[in-house]
Amino acid sequence: MNQTVSIVILKVVMVSDQETCDGSLSLSDFRIAANAFTEKWNKFNSAFPEWYWIDCSNRLGFAAHGVVDGYLSLQNVFIRRSLEEEHDEGSSNDDDELFDDATLVQSTSDDGDQYHFHVVYSPSYKVPVLYFHAHSTDGQPLNLDEIEKNLPTKSAKVLLESKWTFITQEEHPYLNRPWYMLHPCGTNEWMKLLLLAGDNSMATNGTEQYFISWFSVVGQVFGLKLPFEMLKSIG
Amino acid sequence: MAGNENGTVLQFAPFQSSVDEGFWHGLSSLKLNKLKTDESPISITGFYAPCSNPQVSSHLTLLTESLPTEPSDGHPAETSRGNRNKCSVPGILYNTNTLEGFHSLDKQGLLKAEAKKIWEDIRSGKAEEDSSVLTRFLLISFADLKKFNFYYWFAFPALVLDPPATLVDLRPASQWFTLEEAESVSACCNEWRMSSLTADVPFFLVSISSNSHATIRSLKDFKACQQDGHKILFAFYDPCHLPNNPGWPLRNFLAFISARWNIKKVQFLCYRENHGFADLGLSLVGEALVQPSQAWQDQQHVPNAVGWELNKGKRVPRCINLSTSMDPTRMAVSAADLNLKLMRWRALPSLDLSMLSSTKCLLLGAGTLGCQVARMLMAWGVRKITLVDSGKVAMSNPLRQSLYTLEDCLNGGDFKALAAAKSLRRIFPAVEAEGVVMAIPMPGHPVPSQEEHKVLDDCRHLHDLVESHDAIFLLTDTRESRWLPTLLCANANKLTITAALGFDSFLVMRHGAGPLTATDESKAEPVSSLSAGVDEMSLTQSDSKTRLGCYFCNDVVAPVDSTANRTLDQQCTVTRPGLAPIASALAVELLVGILHHPHGISAKAEFGNSLDGGSSEQPLGILPHQIRGALSQFSQMILVGHSSNSCTACCPTVVSEYRKRGLDFVLQAINHPTYLEDLTGLTELMKSANSFELDWDNETDYDDDCVEI
Repeated sequence: MNQTVSIVILKVVMVSDQETCDGSLSLSDFRIAANAFTEKWNKFNSAFPEWYWIDCSNRLGFAAHGVVDGYLSLQNVFIRRSLEEEHDEGSSNDDDELFDDATLVQSTSDDGDQYHFHVVYSPSYKVPVLYFHAHSTDGQPLNLDEIEKNLPTKSAKVLLESKWTFITQEEHPYLNRPWYMLHPCGTNEWMKLLLLAGDNSMATNGTEQYFISWFSVVGQVFGLKLPFEMLKSIG
Repeated sequence: MAGNENGTVLQFAPFQSSVDEGFWHGLSSLKLNKLKTDESPISITGFYAPCSNPQVSSHLTLLTESLPTEPSDGHPAETSRGNRNKCSVPGILYNTNTLEGFHSLDKQGLLKAEAKKIWEDIRSGKAEEDSSVLTRFLLISFADLKKFNFYYWFAFPALVLDPPATLVDLRPASQWFTLEEAESVSACCNEWRMSSLTADVPFFLVSISSNSHATIRSLKDFKACQQDGHKILFAFYDPCHLPNNPGWPLRNFLAFISARWNIKKVQFLCYRENHGFADLGLSLVGEALVQPSQAWQDQQHVPNAVGWELNKGKRVPRCINLSTSMDPTRMAVSAADLNLKLMRWRALPSLDLSMLSSTKCLLLGAGTLGCQVARMLMAWGVRKITLVDSGKVAMSNPLRQSLYTLEDCLNGGDFKALAAAKSLRRIFPAVEAEGVVMAIPMPGHPVPSQEEHKVLDDCRHLHDLVESHDAIFLLTDTRESRWLPTLLCANANKLTITAALGFDSFLVMRHGAGPLTATDESKAEPVSSLSAGVDEMSLTQSDSKTRLGCYFCNDVVAPVDSTANRTLDQQCTVTRPGLAPIASALAVELLVGILHHPHGISAKAEFGNSLDGGSSEQPLGILPHQIRGALSQFSQMILVGHSSNSCTACCPTVVSEYRKRGLDFVLQAINHPTYLEDLTGLTELMKSANSFELDWDNETDYDDDCVEI
């Protein structure tokens, strides 16, 4: 029997430790990725307002040196309401205010709700988490049923019923008020699948790739689409 | 007052408000902690930015930081410095203590007062220094901190020009400027917006020289600009997105320009953005004619003002409810629900949460078992719990009975049932917990005739409690106290779970279906006439299957007074502390299993490795009949016990006797325990057993092979 000694050369791919291996992301990588994402979004995505990094390093009253503390915030995304017939032509009441020619009387067809999205890092799950909150124009917060009814795309419904996405309510870690969020317990599982399916050769942009891939899934639930130019611009 | 030959009346798009929830949270805590009943006005800061979306106008927003952080002694709070996305605007808040107070505020008076401030700032020149005062606003509110309703109404005071300003021309800025001018204007606007010194200054001048070079100057420099002879545009951050109307801030700006510099023909720039950069397609340039009113000559005169915000087209205040984020009880309920839903999503899609929350549970006994069962039920989302116990909380109880604390033991001790219900409500305010202080009548504890009336009442009460609940837990500390409840549950065919403790052993079991009601079992299998006939021979009832047994089915004696005539060490019932939590937890899990089982109370006994139980692959696992545990071995056994036709508690004879004679029967059973044995035929059974003698002693047949030792 021939004894062939085969030497297998293992090509060690230097992959930035965590994002591609187990579907998670480190805190410092989160910050870097968030920055890059914000820049690209604000550049390419004119249909939406801008993301801002809200720095919370000082919230405990002291700046913990070197510790990243903050979250990404996207405020005032306007999502139109599904049409409700409100023929409320009530007459304006007793007020003795002047009738003013110079005021434009607008129809109340500007019916929509404001959504706020925050991306917060979860240290226990080691993944980004999408928190969201919505209210109608008078400030009345929307509950989950109302939000689900007005989600812009059919695909959002599918995602809601899927294995991977579950909307729950938790205290916002920085604002200390209940916000809705997409529960992170499945995130690293589907991120693993997503990253394995994608092209992993771009080790240098692994972090950015992670964030964009992650957002492309969760953003879909709300119709927050990433423009093609943005996806192309990675790597 | 239609348009005249100078153009149409210039119509401004009203400002729109947007209040972030954080503002109301902040106001609530300010009111509770600092203001209390003080109704003096509060200086607040609003924020707005130029329009950045062609579909939607920018709003004037209030955030948590709109409220003063250190409202103190006379000093007005510092207007918090804004940034490019948040131009600060001063405002005033009148928050009332009552709804009536809110409705009876002198709205016109308040509006006039704010308008006067603006007018005075214009006249004095303050508006040149700090132009944000031109957009000063007013907010009235009432915060109902019990129901978390917030009533509020904004006013954006605008000085009324009389006659109104007219519009000569209005078009997109890109159409008004030449290409070179446009480029230059964009560039300097962007620069203005980038610099932190000027980014939040909402009113400015755009001065365009003859060689199309634009510069931005502050309002203060107007006279200098005039002298330069350049084209001057009066520019402002326009929150409005509409192509044919400028935004509200222009109103006071025009009043200012007219009053301050006596300009009649005003060229203005409605500055709007897209993505942080000047958008000259969205921005508008227009020309307006302003005629100063004669009345303005009078130093005392203050122009009229308009500006109350409309609510869906009507001049009424807005009201929002924030209990979902401020009412702790609602938040607790929502958190609990979501927690269970998470479990359903992750692990148990067939979990029926609405069934659990509507199942009414009756717990007989509020001791070590009762307290633990109640907590476990709440953890599963059960919301209706009734506890029955006649005792009071003793000093030794809190250690083992998890709903009580030392406080409940004082002054002789509170009634357990009531203390337990209170404790449940303290843990989870939305639970519907009730305590019933009542003793359970027991056989073998004869009732003196003067107390008969009370005992019968208790029986009736217990009967009603059983009828009105869906699941009953027998968690008392004696055998005989379980008799009447078992009978009542069998009679009413209710889900019944028994948990009983020894020193280091426990029993948790579910009782079988009641004997006399038509069960659903007959639907489960097609019953051939032959098997039906066979069944009828063994049972006297219409069941097509054997029922599972109850706690008493295996007993050959009726329950008697077990507490008397015991040795001292038998009388103090001690158990290893770990037993009660284990048994209680199993009891609750068993209930959840039954509730989810398609056959419910009639479900067959299932075993861990049975071939028979394999057909019902319930997501929660198997549904045993009895679990007996031995803590000394850390072991558990799954057993089954079938119903006995001579059972003193649940056999058809006893139940039909109860149905026939009611409380008389119960009283008889209580006073004469042998009555039950007679009735059920146990007496006969015992007699025949005793008469069967083994003739041991008559055998003298010794086997030769045996060797005597």
